[in-house]
Amino acid sequence: MRTRSAQCNRVMSSKQRKIARRSLQLAAVVVVFVATAGSAFSQQLATPQASQSTSVPHVKCVIGLENIKANVKGTLSLLPNGLEFVTDKNKVDISTASIQDIFTGQESRQDVSGPAGTVAKAGIPYGGGRIVSLFSHNVEVLTVEYVDSNGGFHGTVFVLSPGKATVLKNQLVAQGAKVTNHLQPPAQEQKP
Amino acid sequence: MKPLARAAFPSNFSVVPSGTVFLMVASLLAHPSLLGKPGPAPQQMQKLTASAIQLERSDPPEDLLIPEDTRVATYENVILQLTKTKKFQHVYRSGDRTAASVPDLVVLRLIPEAFKAGSQKQREVTTVTGATSIKVKIQFASRDGKVLREKTVEGKVRFYGENLRATYDLAKKVAAVVNETF
Repeated sequence: MRTRSAQCNRVMSSKQRKIARRSLQLAAVVVVFVATAGSAFSQQLATPQASQSTSVPHVKCVIGLENIKANVKGTLSLLPNGLEFVTDKNKVDISTASIQDIFTGQESRQDVSGPAGTVAKAGIPYGGGRIVSLFSHNVEVLTVEYVDSNGGFHGTVFVLSPGKATVLKNQLVAQGAKVTNHLQPPAQEQKP
Repeated sequence: MKPLARAAFPSNFSVVPSGTVFLMVASLLAHPSLLGKPGPAPQQMQKLTASAIQLERSDPPEDLLIPEDTRVATYENVILQLTKTKKFQHVYRSGDRTAASVPDLVVLRLIPEAFKAGSQKQREVTTVTGATSIKVKIQFASRDGKVLREKTVEGKVRFYGENLRATYDLAKKVAAVVNETF
């Protein structure tokens, strides 16, 4: 009897050890999974905010930046002390302290435009180019007025995808950029 | 029967030269200055001289709403075109403190008078409507505020191009006025 009970105890203890080991392994896997998923989830949550708030690619600088040609595309970034526009060749900074006013506006741009687009539209027979001209997309315009070190007035106009200009303006205002209240012209026509 | 030596009416070959001579004489009589007599001299603008120019910003009248991107694009385009004229040693921006030391500074003001916001889509679809135009009064003044010359110019985009191209057209016209003034 004693030998049987002793054998039973040994069998039970080995089973318990196995169960304990498996439960530990499972717990470890769960802990690792939760930790990994948590960090990945937090990255997913944080990444869009960071990209929205700090850097906007494919921004067109219409005019107004020193040493940058008109209608050049680049990346507009929000730095802790202002704006930065970077192209393949140049980089221009606008400090928050120098900003005098910021304006945003909604406009629309033709889907097919520019000299090549105009030629292509003109080449479509039976007035088909006019049909192509009907297609357009909305954009947002960010106008920043600032002064240089001598006090000279500068203004620059950026064209961004919808919603980005307002985000940048709000963040610049939060940094301390000056903004005045201004009357907006009536939005009778979307201005391409 | 003796044949006629001359036709009853003069031929075209004789009428045309005589008519030409008659017209030339008549035109000379009508413009005595061409004969060497002193006529009224055409009024020519006396050119101004200045080593530097400062472009000032001017607010539009209260009843005239101009989008700020149009105003900024106008200002920056005019600065670029003024620099391209090479008429001045320096083109100063509005508010530039270093302009205070320039003795013969000319101040250029662009006073907005009218603005019509068009539509690129409308222009390209209809061809005849949707033009964008901006009209400004150009005013050259001395440092003490005396107006030296004034002229009104209008920038337009009628067929192809974005609305802000009207500001480029306006700036080119401002540069033309500067070229004929300085």
